[in-house]
Amino acid sequence: MSLEQFKNRNVGTQEYRMLDLEPTPETGWGRFKRVVRRSVKLELFTGLKVTFREMIKALFMGEMHTTKYPFEKLPIAPRYRAIHEMKRLLESGHYRCIGCGLCEKICISDCIRMDTRYDENQRKEVSEYTINFGRCIFCGYCAEVCPELAIVHGGRYENASEQRASYALFEDMLTPLDQLAQQKEYPGFGAVSPDADEKIKKTPLAY
Amino acid sequence: MSEVKKMSETVTLTIDGKTVTTRQGNTILQAARENGIYIPTMCYLSKVEPIGSCRMCVVEVEGVEGMILSCQEKAVEGAVIRTSGEDLFRERQNIMKLYDVNHPLECGVCDKSGECDLQNKTLEFAVDQQTFAAKDQHRPVKNWGFISYDPALCIMCEKCVRTCTEIIGDDALAIETGGYKSTIVNTRDLSDCAQCGECMAVCPVGALVSTDFKYTSNAWELEKIPASCTHCSAGCQLYYEVKHTSIDNTEPKIYRVTNEFEFSTLCGAGRFGYDFENREAKRDPEKLEAAVEAFRKAETIRFASTISNEEALLLRRIAEKTGAKLVCDEARGFQRFMRAYREASGRNLPTADLEWIRRSRVIVTLGTRLYDDAPMVKFAVATASRREKAQVVYCHPIEDSRLQNQVTQFVKYEAGSEEGVAALLAATLIDKAKAPLELDTLLNGLDIGYLSAESNVSEEELDRLKLTLWKRQRFTLIVGEDLYNHPHAENIARFLAAIENYSDFKLFIIPPASNTLGVSLICDLADEAKGYTVGVNTPGEFVLSALGDGDLDLPAMNQQEGTLVNYEGRVVPTHPALPYGGWELADIARELGLELEHVIDLTPQLPKEEGFRAVAFDDLPDYFDAVGGEHRGYLLERQERGEALRLPEEPEELESYDGTVLYRCNPGKQFSPFTAKTHQLKEEAFLLGSAQFAMAARLEDGDRIRFVQDGIEYERVFRIDTAMKGTVAVNPTFDRGLRSFAISSYRFSPVKIEKAGKADE
Repeated sequence: MSLEQFKNRNVGTQEYRMLDLEPTPETGWGRFKRVVRRSVKLELFTGLKVTFREMIKALFMGEMHTTKYPFEKLPIAPRYRAIHEMKRLLESGHYRCIGCGLCEKICISDCIRMDTRYDENQRKEVSEYTINFGRCIFCGYCAEVCPELAIVHGGRYENASEQRASYALFEDMLTPLDQLAQQKEYPGFGAVSPDADEKIKKTPLAY
Repeated sequence: MSEVKKMSETVTLTIDGKTVTTRQGNTILQAARENGIYIPTMCYLSKVEPIGSCRMCVVEVEGVEGMILSCQEKAVEGAVIRTSGEDLFRERQNIMKLYDVNHPLECGVCDKSGECDLQNKTLEFAVDQQTFAAKDQHRPVKNWGFISYDPALCIMCEKCVRTCTEIIGDDALAIETGGYKSTIVNTRDLSDCAQCGECMAVCPVGALVSTDFKYTSNAWELEKIPASCTHCSAGCQLYYEVKHTSIDNTEPKIYRVTNEFEFSTLCGAGRFGYDFENREAKRDPEKLEAAVEAFRKAETIRFASTISNEEALLLRRIAEKTGAKLVCDEARGFQRFMRAYREASGRNLPTADLEWIRRSRVIVTLGTRLYDDAPMVKFAVATASRREKAQVVYCHPIEDSRLQNQVTQFVKYEAGSEEGVAALLAATLIDKAKAPLELDTLLNGLDIGYLSAESNVSEEELDRLKLTLWKRQRFTLIVGEDLYNHPHAENIARFLAAIENYSDFKLFIIPPASNTLGVSLICDLADEAKGYTVGVNTPGEFVLSALGDGDLDLPAMNQQEGTLVNYEGRVVPTHPALPYGGWELADIARELGLELEHVIDLTPQLPKEEGFRAVAFDDLPDYFDAVGGEHRGYLLERQERGEALRLPEEPEELESYDGTVLYRCNPGKQFSPFTAKTHQLKEEAFLLGSAQFAMAARLEDGDRIRFVQDGIEYERVFRIDTAMKGTVAVNPTFDRGLRSFAISSYRFSPVKIEKAGKADE
């Protein structure tokens, strides 16, 4: 890239042009005449035309541009990293978390903690799960390391709370059962790549 | 001729270009490990004979075609060995590919994840896909009490089976062969398996795991705290694995106990009985004041031998300051016995150690119910029986069917006649040519007929024992708790010392409780408690208790640091796994005017004349080296005096008991109220007797009975144990709280049993 245009400091030779403006009145009489002229010519309404047009569009044609936050919220980018969500399996509705503890291990601000136990079905069950959002730095490692895509980042970005350290429990983050149909896959770090199917090496079954 | 015979003690060979020297008879793998050269293995377990099922340890030897198994092949002088290379890597990678066939991809929930041999080696040899196919089998999870077995995760390395047969001697595990369908099976019903958990400890994958621990924590979250087990006198190495209790409770909690399983072993009590801590203790200045006051006016300080050496020394210092007498019921008889032994043998400690027992060809046990008293010694006997085909002669009034795998001759004698049996053993085992004239005269003058009639040990049995020794080497005599409180314990000790001095037998003495040996070396004990008594983990007018039921709390052994003396005379360190919120003995000592900051300040001050060294607690080593050398604490200095040895006297009239005789003995995994307190080992105490005993005592299975033994009143249920024989019943004490630490009587005692209804009423 040439640096020529930055080195040319002779601004006078650039493409400036003079605007065709009437001279500024210098006497009181001259100024009075200009006010009268502008008022009579209704120049003000030329400018207000755009405003009125947008107002009519917003009020009567349903094209309002204002978002009534916090009653309304704009959609956030899908890969934005906000408050975590715990996903469920689409078929059974059972939560996906298997209690492997990798999120707890990888968490660099040490804000995830879980209790696990041996349940009646001889499986590992997560009996308690918390994230301390007072400490969480929303780095996304937990979502990236999760082998089940069970913990992901959601779009809830308001973190204000009455308490200094605000904890979230497993149930708070879990997709409600009645909203299971609306559950979306997370596209961020750790998600399955679009060409995952081609990359899979299948176990031979020739016996 | 002599030149041919004279073989060098060491061999020198080259491994990966490095010249290494090792002991003659070591394998290539051992030579490599000694010198920090890495050879990957899957099935190799240092403490058992090489299994050779994995073939991972293959190496190449110059001039030898093919690959050599380094775990089995002995190192040869001048050999040039290569342990890595592309072909070896491919060979090992193929082995890993086979191990990984159909291995469930459930590392996420597997307890072993993070410390799994299979996981590590799969990553090391870069196996990222399955290239072989095999039809998967349905393999349901099995529950074996404390242990669960998941055959789907099992890689059939055989470590567990080998450990069970070679180290534990239970033969509970076996391989059910069937090619790809092979599994490990538990051949015993659960009561018959020692439930020691060793199989689970050696399992390289998550196939054998603790039922209680399962899925409660990942391996990497737990902090390992090196400690020594304090339940019996073995003082085994262990790690308390600690983590916060739960999300709501950040107090640390012990999740499990592990050990250096490559080289050392734990019994069920050590592995599963870990949460005996004194939790609720608080620092109340008024209570401390009361305790100090009690110590000031105490005429006797009575303590249990579940105590560290430092605290025992501290109690001695306190007693010297206040003029009180020290009483330790568990250790008093033992101390007298050991002093008599010392006087008679000229040694401060007996000569056999556990390694010697493992290599013995003939083992005689006297006066101990080995299986319950000292599991580690029993394991060593089992190893000798397996490896050396050792002849095991078990002398005891009660036959133990659990030892039938190992015992080759059972010598039953009458309860109370131990002195006579010791004399008969001396007459049988002592090499008359070696013995001094006086002893020879004494042995020749023994009234063998009377002794054998009264003790019920026939001369044929003794002849058979004598025959057993023929053409064999390496003999061990193991003696235990029955002898120490015998009315003639001192004379028994002299007979045993004579056997040790004038025969090829080495003696192994099992101390009766945790640190009884340490206490007997450090404190000068009085016979019985008199006057106002302060009880440290024992009953008294003022009681300090680690069980949390006394006038002042004390830390339990997993909450304090200090050293213990184990049965080999090794001073082993232990570290606190859990915090303790109350007062401890050091606080009382400070109030009484003794100058010390921590209890461990006393470690270098332990009595040198007894063999202790002036080493600070923090300088004590606590590890095993790469080839299993034990560097835990230090061994007490052995002192020997070759002359003026006191000889035994001829036994006087032997005692005998008529009527109902009970034997005081805690079963299997119970040693004291501390094991009984832990959540996994909680169990009800029963009086156990044979059907023959039941008939003689007119009892039925399930009878609720009342009796008094050793001054303690018992009310418990009688159960018939079909595996038992004979007319002596076994009475445990582990449910008696602190009173069980204050028993100093002979283990057999006649009692009067009163019936009080049935168990379910």
